Amino acid sequence: MQRTTSFGSVIVERITGNPAASVVMVGSLVLAVVIGVFGGAAQLVNAVVTGGMWALLAVGLALIFGVANVPYFAHGESFMIGAYVAFFVFDPIKTYLQDNSNPLLFALGPFAAVLAAGVVGFALGVGLERLLFYPLRQRTKAGEWVMNAFLLTLGISFVIINGTTLVLGPNFQGIPYYWAVDPLELESLEVRVTVDRLVSFGIAIITIVALWFFLRRTRIGRAIRAVAQDEVGAQLVGINLNFVYVLTFGLATATAAIAGASLLSIFQAYPTVGLIPLYTAWYVVILAGLGNVAGAIAGGFIVALLQTATQQWVGIGWANVVPIAAMVLVLLIVPSGIFGSEVKGVQEQ
Amino acid sequence: MLQLKNLDASYGFLQVLWDISLHVDEGEFVGLIGPNGAGKSTTLKSIIGLLTPKDGEILFEGQSIGPLPAYQVTRMGISYISEALNLFTDMSVRDNLLLGAYSIKDKQTQLETLDFVFGLFPRLKEREGQLAGTMSGGERKMLAIARGMMAKPRLMLVDEPSLGLAPHLVTDVFNSLRKLQKAGVTILMVEQRVNATLEVADRAYVLENGRVALQGTSDELTAHEHVRSAYIGV
Repeated sequence: MQRTTSFGSVIVERITGNPAASVVMVGSLVLAVVIGVFGGAAQLVNAVVTGGMWALLAVGLALIFGVANVPYFAHGESFMIGAYVAFFVFDPIKTYLQDNSNPLLFALGPFAAVLAAGVVGFALGVGLERLLFYPLRQRTKAGEWVMNAFLLTLGISFVIINGTTLVLGPNFQGIPYYWAVDPLELESLEVRVTVDRLVSFGIAIITIVALWFFLRRTRIGRAIRAVAQDEVGAQLVGINLNFVYVLTFGLATATAAIAGASLLSIFQAYPTVGLIPLYTAWYVVILAGLGNVAGAIAGGFIVALLQTATQQWVGIGWANVVPIAAMVLVLLIVPSGIFGSEVKGVQEQ
Repeated sequence: MLQLKNLDASYGFLQVLWDISLHVDEGEFVGLIGPNGAGKSTTLKSIIGLLTPKDGEILFEGQSIGPLPAYQVTRMGISYISEALNLFTDMSVRDNLLLGAYSIKDKQTQLETLDFVFGLFPRLKEREGQLAGTMSGGERKMLAIARGMMAKPRLMLVDEPSLGLAPHLVTDVFNSLRKLQKAGVTILMVEQRVNATLEVADRAYVLENGRVALQGTSDELTAHEHVRSAYIGV
């Protein structure tokens, strides 16, 4: 039986070849319907919008792990830096707009902030890879990489969080909204969504789609996937591994920064704002399967649905209990994740 | 075309090759034979740059490639078909082949080479969309060789292609390599099957314990007393 690799068939492949995944996908859809019907459309919208954010963060994490074999625990810091960059770019714009009318700036100013965050995020990833991970790779003996890299990311996280606290202070810095307009309402379904949340969701989706397109259809995207599957094979076809590592890191940190920037008006910017996104992204990646990029996207939405359902019917403080419990179950029953993992080096030890 | 001069190679502290000197001229099909653990694969890995030589020189068309990393050596016109094949198992045959041509930037040339390679391996064309990981052993070997061809190499290093294959498939693979030689590719092949190798290669080197024990044309070696008793079992 021939198995092909067009976009749609990859998804179908994953589902039909994997009963656990099909059950989870169907279950999630059922859960979404239940939330929508019994919790109200507003809750469902909430879940979907949050899901987009988790999906975006998880994709970056899955990429770094799948390609560079780094369990990246400083991902939240890219989110945080993105938020701060957006703040420092947008705050002066906001002040200007209070006294001057400029429709173009009003509409596009926030996008400039998000774009700036993406650029800085990319530079951060490139810098971290070249200055820290590359030398570590030269020094590390076979079998020790995963642990070494993990410890390094913990150190990076520690330094960045405390450095930021030192330089910018621990206080929340933020904006009440990007666009000073009324939320969008759909009265018949009792749904109210602020423009900020809607746009952040749109940005998340567009970024994910762009990344997907890049990985599937471009020469360099294919090279990145090749390195994730077989490093030696990639070298043998002439791919420069270091270039791929740097690019992958840059893309992952850029996407996290974009997420942080687009959510500035909701999360605000403060040194530890990245921690919750970090942990949630890791739940998603472990649930879905380490290194599995497509799985990370689906997983983001699944975790968001679980969180929303838990908040709605169990209690707000319990929001993370269910995803963590699910993660523990997955680790016990299907350790490679619901959608299957695509990792290379972890089994070394 | 390819020259190894007094090559020493080690894995960490374990030295595996001592003073290896050999050469491959353009258009030749040269075999590297010997028992398990003799250092044959290590020799190929040193040439392609997956291993850095401890001492000695490796020259390709006059240029020293010893210290170069694998991706650069590949881009210079050498393809290495590893024992493990290192195929991209979750990608289709077509994607694997296109990646083989990664170092060729021009899309048109890539597609032309793809057509050429499909012409040499029609079975692969039939399975163009199939995932590499789902193919049989023989087909995957063909794919690995075909992927190596996609970079338009002048020299191809093949590591134990007969491993794990049924005898009639081995003939297929060796015949494919002959076809490639006729298409202008120089071949250096590491093999354990001495008989079959000496039938298809022009010359061969016998490696034992990390050193070159014997060398000569296939005819000379087939007639050689030591080769006959140790490897052919006569």
